[in-house]
Amino acid sequence: MTVIQEQQAVSSRGWGDRLRRALRSEGAYLVMLLPLLLFVVAIAIYPLLFSFRISLFKYRLTDPNQVQTFVGLDNYLRAFQDPIVLTSLRVTLIYVAGTVLLEMVLGLALALLLASEGRMIRGTRALLLLPMALPPLVVGLVWKSLYNADFGVIPYYLKALGVDVGRGPLAELGWAMPAVILIDVWQWTPLLMIIFLAGLKSLPVEPYEAAFADGATRWQRFVHITLPLLKPTLLVALLLRTMQSFKVFDVIYATTGGGPGSATTVLNFHIYTVGMTFFDMGYAAALANVLLVIIAILSVLYIVILERQQL
Amino acid sequence: MMQKRSNFEQVLLTALTVLVVFFFMAPVFWLVTTSFKFGREAFAIPPKWLFFEFTWRNYTEVLETTKIGLYLTNSLIISAGATILSLVLGVPAGYAIARSGSRLLNMSAYFFLVLLMVPPVAMLIPFYLIMRDLRLLGSYASLIILDTVFDAAFVVWMMRSYFADVPKEIEEAALVDGASRFAAFWRVALPLSIPGVVAAALYVIIFSWNDFLFALMLTSPATKTIPLGILASFSAVEISWGRMAVMCLFAIVPALVISLFLNRYFIQGVTMGATKG
Repeated sequence: MTVIQEQQAVSSRGWGDRLRRALRSEGAYLVMLLPLLLFVVAIAIYPLLFSFRISLFKYRLTDPNQVQTFVGLDNYLRAFQDPIVLTSLRVTLIYVAGTVLLEMVLGLALALLLASEGRMIRGTRALLLLPMALPPLVVGLVWKSLYNADFGVIPYYLKALGVDVGRGPLAELGWAMPAVILIDVWQWTPLLMIIFLAGLKSLPVEPYEAAFADGATRWQRFVHITLPLLKPTLLVALLLRTMQSFKVFDVIYATTGGGPGSATTVLNFHIYTVGMTFFDMGYAAALANVLLVIIAILSVLYIVILERQQL
Repeated sequence: MMQKRSNFEQVLLTALTVLVVFFFMAPVFWLVTTSFKFGREAFAIPPKWLFFEFTWRNYTEVLETTKIGLYLTNSLIISAGATILSLVLGVPAGYAIARSGSRLLNMSAYFFLVLLMVPPVAMLIPFYLIMRDLRLLGSYASLIILDTVFDAAFVVWMMRSYFADVPKEIEEAALVDGASRFAAFWRVALPLSIPGVVAAALYVIIFSWNDFLFALMLTSPATKTIPLGILASFSAVEISWGRMAVMCLFAIVPALVISLFLNRYFIQGVTMGATKG
């Protein structure tokens, strides 16, 4: 049966038939999707509801009687009055904005620098993939030793340049945040480079030829052609990295432990501390849900942009 | 790109490239060389980049004094389990989403995308409590299950865009010949998509091998994976950076192999998994 005949056949019959037909043709696909869907619902969606429920209770794991007292939205209200939470939100914002902006700019610069197809360039690009494949915990440990005040390489050379970082970049209030941002930049800039390289490769040639004929400079071509054409890729990369940057945990755990003071206590790390060190489960779940709402908003934006790009 | 670059520019760009390579490779180089420096040699000031006393002693000591074998075995079991499970669940699901004519099924891809974006910390408390109630704390199963949730979501998202690029015509021919949709997937589409499956598998291996947070929360001393093993092998008082470097090197073997020898697949994974709608 051709497609047209099939469509005519479908429209000539009722809705019930149509549904049965759809099931017959789509049923196989549903069966292929279903095992994963059930698995994810059981393992991820159920806990999510569970997390919402527990966020409405006062529940301390350390309590010998394991009492769960219903407190309504108290945990959420407490979150927005908790100075540590407000600080950690600010710290998170600085961390995310700092890492993502730096990585976007550097990633684009790297993509432009390494865009050609020579053997050396290709080898260089392959080398740069290594950082993002490394376990973040190991990355944190390596940088921690590089930053070490007594034997670290970085303070040594900084001192040689006349910059004294006292107890080391990770232990000084003003230095800790830039220091952990640098680690993130080191690990994730190459990811953006790859995304931008793919974007650059898919750009049409014609506008460049026209601009070349008009005698546009390289800078003019970059600003007036490359950037506007690359905008969808830039947006997608921006949102992707923003959401990933919110996930940071291992590196903070390995390097500063959120310190000095709360200089690098991102929301993620604070949730972990509340839940797994203070065992204040209800409150931790409430904080986690606040984080989830932020991520949900970003995800919706991301999806809308991906969908639009497809059209 | 179209204008020829002057010599000066060429030199400048080469210098920049060298600088870039230095920035991204220096920490790794430092890690590798440190693993061959014993005792105080690793803390030498000024730092010794190239000329130092080369020794294998850190390696022999790590093999003798730490449970590195156990940690690596645990990491291997968990990564293998999560990889197999997430491919078995994720690849057919990705195919179904790519090929189905139903809008609802197509849109379900975004559900998996959102899942990918969820910070693991946000799910920590429910995961912990549920694994406790299931009496799975400290088991391989708990980690394999949790890793698979996020790994499979990645596999679906990536395979969906991979299958979408595989021409439908051959499968349609098979369907006309009377093959079922499962046969079309298993005998026709899947063999054509092996590179995509390999790329997805490499990512999943890296994700689960590198996982720290879930392992931190769920492992017992007997099931500690390598990242936790590194932390467990050193007290705050006595840190031998040389020996820690050896353990870190064991922990980055998969990353090294994949990014140096299988980088073609790796790059494909990024562009397919991240930016294709």
